[in-house]
Amino acid sequence: MSSTSQTATTALPSETSKMSGNIIAVAGAVAALVGFFLPWVGFIKNGALVASLSGVRVGASPVVELAGGNVLYRGSPAAYLVPIVAVIVIGLSLYAIFMRQQVAEGDGFVKIGLSLITLLVLWGQFARAQGVAERMGVELQLQYGLIMVLLALTAMIVAGVLDIRVAMAGNPAFRNVLNALSFMSPATFMVTIFFFIPVVLLLALSLTDLASSNFSDPWTFIGLENYRRMFSDRFFPRILANTIFYVVVTLGVFNVGMALVLALLTNHIPRRASFIFRLLWLLPRITPSVIYIVMWQRFVQVPPHGIINQFLGWFGVEHQPYWLNETPWLFVILVNGLVGASFGMIIFTSAIEAIPKDMITAAKVDGASAWQIIRDITMPMLRWPLLFVTSYQTLSLLVSFEYIMLLTNGGPGLYTTEVWALTSYKRALGTYFGSNQWGYGAAWGFVLVTIGAILSIVYLRVFRFDDLVQEPKIDVL
Amino acid sequence: MRVELENLTKRWGTVVGADAMNLDIKDGEFVAFLGPSGCGKTTTLLMVAGIYKPTDGDIRFDDKLVNRVAPKDRNIGMVFQSYALYPHMTVFKNISYPLKLQKVPMDAMQKRAQRVADMMGIGHLMDRKPAQLSGGQQQRVALGRALVKEPGLLLFDEPLSNLDARLRLSMRGEIKRLQMELGITSIYVTHDQIEAMTMADRIAVMMDGKLQAYDTPDELYDRPRTMFIGGFVGNPPMNFVEVEVVKSNGNFHARREGFDALVSPDRGAKAAGKGKVFLGIRPEDVTLADKGVSGEAYMVEPLGRDDLVEAQIGDIRVHVLTDPKLGIKIGDALKLDFNAEKIQFFDPETEQSLLW
Repeated sequence: MSSTSQTATTALPSETSKMSGNIIAVAGAVAALVGFFLPWVGFIKNGALVASLSGVRVGASPVVELAGGNVLYRGSPAAYLVPIVAVIVIGLSLYAIFMRQQVAEGDGFVKIGLSLITLLVLWGQFARAQGVAERMGVELQLQYGLIMVLLALTAMIVAGVLDIRVAMAGNPAFRNVLNALSFMSPATFMVTIFFFIPVVLLLALSLTDLASSNFSDPWTFIGLENYRRMFSDRFFPRILANTIFYVVVTLGVFNVGMALVLALLTNHIPRRASFIFRLLWLLPRITPSVIYIVMWQRFVQVPPHGIINQFLGWFGVEHQPYWLNETPWLFVILVNGLVGASFGMIIFTSAIEAIPKDMITAAKVDGASAWQIIRDITMPMLRWPLLFVTSYQTLSLLVSFEYIMLLTNGGPGLYTTEVWALTSYKRALGTYFGSNQWGYGAAWGFVLVTIGAILSIVYLRVFRFDDLVQEPKIDVL
Repeated sequence: MRVELENLTKRWGTVVGADAMNLDIKDGEFVAFLGPSGCGKTTTLLMVAGIYKPTDGDIRFDDKLVNRVAPKDRNIGMVFQSYALYPHMTVFKNISYPLKLQKVPMDAMQKRAQRVADMMGIGHLMDRKPAQLSGGQQQRVALGRALVKEPGLLLFDEPLSNLDARLRLSMRGEIKRLQMELGITSIYVTHDQIEAMTMADRIAVMMDGKLQAYDTPDELYDRPRTMFIGGFVGNPPMNFVEVEVVKSNGNFHARREGFDALVSPDRGAKAAGKGKVFLGIRPEDVTLADKGVSGEAYMVEPLGRDDLVEAQIGDIRVHVLTDPKLGIKIGDALKLDFNAEKIQFFDPETEQSLLW
């Protein structure tokens, strides 16, 4: 134990919990040791080729080749990690217990962090070992070992938490950092689960040749081959240009431009009327995509079905084509923009209504015309909603494809209105020439995510996000 | 600039904001609109500013009808309770915004804005944003913005209500002095009767959308036309006692059970023989004496300079301002002398003064 003579006389509360932390760590270390060796028993008992969670394997197998004696599965360097991590965890526990004087605040985090990593690695290896055992027709009895290992890891985590609490009591600065982290933790958790982990998986996937034609043998690492293939695609420049055109025009004209105009206009008409108007404008957004697109297709049909053409007919216009072939981009952008504008319209409207009435009165008295009030007062105060709508809608337009897929499916002809997200979808999941190329589609997707992330940062810089966060007010007479 | 309101009315459906206001404001005069919340003072002010369109009646600036003139063309400056500064603009941009809209050249604009800011004592804060200023500084910026275009009429909408008590006191003096020096006609909306009394040349007292009285502070204080004015103007408020005025031995007495106060002949004559009337008297016009109406100290509130004593006389209570040196305590027996020259009388039905 911590072992100086003072502990005998007065054991501070922090000392006690530090001690109990170490006792738990000892228990964890013992459980880990037991847990790592128990699986051997299961394999030996079954008289099969022996594999264990520690990755050691003996004998010959029809499925798994021996390589260096320590490989559980070919092409899996992760197998080496298990014994390494086991050694580190056990070593660290011993270190934490016997060299406590030298261990700082970090030791709790190291315990927890390593426990979590071990847990992840072990989980993967366990699943893998079970797969191997199944293919070999062997019953794998790893459950008890696994339970022991999990117990050990839990104990280590508890010990880590206790260590951190002790450190907190002794170091206010450290406590501040921890407080800040704990306030961030819900957001961090969500972003990690719903963004970082999927992105990492996407990146991993994009480096493999995973496809429906070969998914019996997954995870073959092929480096940047998918990316090379993507950038050398004959239609790559076309798709890139289409995407930029689609995003910029839809965003500028509709999602931000038209939304702003609608918000400003509805702000100047009676409340009830503007409410009904906004409600009507939201209708397409709550209409199922397929129905919405079917409606549009009725609009653009050739006579006698097409509504536009019928309308043109009344004015004696002879030219009555299938409008989707005539001006595909016009309709792709209209279809997306008319729905997209409602989002910005709602955000801008509430932002405009939040501007204090006095401020508008003050501007009127100062001599501003309606247009000058919009330009000098309303617009600058909409900077934050403008940033939000612009960046949010850029990102959603970049990844949106379902309206395009339903309306033109990238046509007419080859890649006329095909955008990046649609390509990614078709490669990865669309039944496209009979093959789902998950790895290749992931490469397209990953580049798109990267572009989106870079754009977000650029937006934050351009709109000077820091300035938008109000400084605390210090009231002095 | 001279301002005339004639029969000015604002209605929203059945809700009446302002009801047939008649008011004239002389050039250079400082007029306060005084009244409790919802009395129509801000509604009237916003009609003068041109933000609200009158339902009925006329507004004239220097004999020119301005009912249909847009706020920007009325040559007015306005100061708000909320300051209403533009948060994204610096102090300089806030103050110079009216000049920018008038297309004043940059150097002239800078000179004028700086002069006004110096006058307001915020000349060194020109590059700050409103959020970086204290409440008092923000209100100075708002004043500067209202003054910079040298308006013919200044409108104040409870400008000091958001400031703390001490600052309110000093700003009160500053605004008054500034207004006198610049000689700009001003309308000042407030619910604080002390503000109105101390600053205004004339006070328009309003209630329920109606103009109750329009007079100088002294007149309102000494000759209240209605019970509402008597009760609203002055702090602590006027005492009201239901009495009957009778003449006996050539003197007029205001009497009720356990209450008998001598009244000056000219005042008493107007209330005598009217049956029950309301006697009004201000706490400072009741003094402690050796003889007079007997009462008992029901409550004593030390105010520092004075003690405010609530005296129980029979079944009524009257507020009296006394010298703290007397050391009146709750339960002490008191003799009260009512100043015969200061007693007011009101008709209990109409609440109109019987004297004025």
